[in-house]
Amino acid sequence: MFSGPRQRGLRLLTHAEWCGVPSEASVLLCKTVSMRAGDLAQWFRCLLHKRKDPSWISADIISTVEFNYSGDLLATGDKGGRVVIFQREQESKSRPHSRGEYNVYSTFQSHEPEFDYLKSLEIEEKINKIRWLPQQNAAHFLLSTNDKTIKLWKISERDKRAEGYNLKDEDGRLRDPFRITALRVPILKPMDLMVEASPRRIFANAHTYHINSISVNSDHETYLSADDLRINLWHLEITDRSFNIVDIKPANMEELTEVITAAEFHPHQCNVFVYSSSKGTIRLCDMRSSALCDRHSKFFEEPEDPSSRSFFSEIISSISDVKFSHSGRYMMTRDYLSVKVWDLNMESRPVETHQVHEYLRSKLCSLYENDCIFDKFECCWNGSDSAIMTGSYNNFFRMFDRNTRRDVTLEASRENSKPRASLKPRKVCTGGKRKKDEISVDSLDFNKKILHTAWHPMENIIAVAATNNLYIFQDKIN
Amino acid sequence: MEVQKEAQRIMTLSVWKMYHSRMQRGGLRLHRSLQLSLVMRSARELYLSAKVEALDLETPSTPTRCPDPRLHPPREAEVPAACVPPDGEPLSPEPMDTQEDEEEASPRAAETLARCSAHPARVGRKRRSSSLSNGVDAGLVPSKKARLEEKEEAEDASSEVPDRLLPPPAQAEGAFPNLARVLQRSFSGLLNRGPTAPPTAPPARDAKPVCRPADPVLSVLVRAVVAF
Repeated sequence: MFSGPRQRGLRLLTHAEWCGVPSEASVLLCKTVSMRAGDLAQWFRCLLHKRKDPSWISADIISTVEFNYSGDLLATGDKGGRVVIFQREQESKSRPHSRGEYNVYSTFQSHEPEFDYLKSLEIEEKINKIRWLPQQNAAHFLLSTNDKTIKLWKISERDKRAEGYNLKDEDGRLRDPFRITALRVPILKPMDLMVEASPRRIFANAHTYHINSISVNSDHETYLSADDLRINLWHLEITDRSFNIVDIKPANMEELTEVITAAEFHPHQCNVFVYSSSKGTIRLCDMRSSALCDRHSKFFEEPEDPSSRSFFSEIISSISDVKFSHSGRYMMTRDYLSVKVWDLNMESRPVETHQVHEYLRSKLCSLYENDCIFDKFECCWNGSDSAIMTGSYNNFFRMFDRNTRRDVTLEASRENSKPRASLKPRKVCTGGKRKKDEISVDSLDFNKKILHTAWHPMENIIAVAATNNLYIFQDKIN
Repeated sequence: MEVQKEAQRIMTLSVWKMYHSRMQRGGLRLHRSLQLSLVMRSARELYLSAKVEALDLETPSTPTRCPDPRLHPPREAEVPAACVPPDGEPLSPEPMDTQEDEEEASPRAAETLARCSAHPARVGRKRRSSSLSNGVDAGLVPSKKARLEEKEEAEDASSEVPDRLLPPPAQAEGAFPNLARVLQRSFSGLLNRGPTAPPTAPPARDAKPVCRPADPVLSVLVRAVVAF
């Protein structure tokens, strides 16, 4: 990450902003920004000019970000149920500087608001998670889920169309049969590239509670979906049947003490998966041991430090995200204040604990008041598992270099992300005298939060979702 | 007392949040409800023990043999190590239960009492009989065992150190209408089953007298979690 001989920095690659129109909420006005300074200024002017109401609507809030396996595509989901896919522009000789920009590739409405008549409950359209399937042919496939329903989408390109039908004319109207005097063979003609997204499978009616995770298995045939109390195993081709592999629902719901907060398959061993709980523990299960994995194979738990107990201990120790490293040797968990790296061979404590925003420990009461304490921050690994990243408040995000033990706080904001310029590390002043360039804890903006981040699987390119803005940064090479 | 006020505020806030999360789009979130009830319960416990401590301080004849360290927390009302029972199990209560409170809390209460009282077994038995075994209404019914306890208290005072968790009747009575008012203010009209304990209720001699008025509110709200 930042371990090179010279200080390298992240520069803005792409910035996109969601600004929905309340009257036509399904229309996504999405802009991408090119790297050059002039363009950026122009774009902002243009944007401000076009937008009458500067406030975005809540449907515009980005709720998930995910690179595909090659890193060439980046999928984002939002609270309005839309999926926007960005594609990395390929290097071209005419535009040597254009390498690496991400442009909008496809946009589609994945989920619509629904109503559960039996429970008299509205089902939100918000996209909770997106997971790509490994690419097996020219088309790309992804799974997207809201609270209840998982959908398999196929994203494919079409750049040719058939022309020269015998019974139809060019506009598609039927021709008068008496006028057809000769038969011809239809031919494929090149046309403007069209990207189509079509729903291939809909996996519904298997979750009573809210789905928080989906994870594709390394066998490429199955995937799991987890809600608050159960984990189901699906075959990607079969929608009318799923197998329940974990069920922690107590017979008497009044005895409920914990819920499942996240679950993920091991990246290489198709029989192993982990799930985290609201108590701050992680269970590793082996599907070979039994069909219903009620008994875990490994149980990862760090003894609680009694000196730091408070009203909110249970909330802040709840794990909001769990991610295996690419190697499969480690896993990372995120709780409210810290991110921990666990060695799968050691259950008693994490091998690393990184404080994300420890200065908030004294502010837990007000964070409870304004509901921020319930925020679910995600975390991600870089391609070589040497660095990790997670979000914070005030549009800050944190990166930790595992080898050098260095960490950095960066800010994703329109003002600070001038193209070409490197992101400057930010520092939060934690008591005492505030130095220049430091920001005091009290002036942090808790409405600006970075919950979702993604790291390119091979390169140092990161995607950061800041409310309704998506920033893509690249590690500067020269 | 500041600790008490803080705990009270957090309790009120939690109940408010629980009520509002029912109207949330997409339905009640199980994880959030669980977390809210956890906070609510630790606030309640702290509130109650702060109350007891305050009463102890007001009656200097009562020596405090095991002062609860939670009563002197830092600003954020952090609970220090000493309040964790000796077996290492945190004092944090089980969530979203009211009836289970009885089974869960009783041994724990007994354990706490064991350190202070000469009759831990009897106290434990007593707790069980006088706690919320009948659900919502139990808290409103003065238990007969309380009378028995009065005798025990007298015995304790003569032979052993008095149980510090048994507050003087007058003060105990004064405490819970106060909480009831707070909760009533926030929820009057919203819940038809509000805290109905009259201020003139017979003095409760239970180990946790002041939690009674709150429990009807809690149980109504908390039960909703189960209604999936």
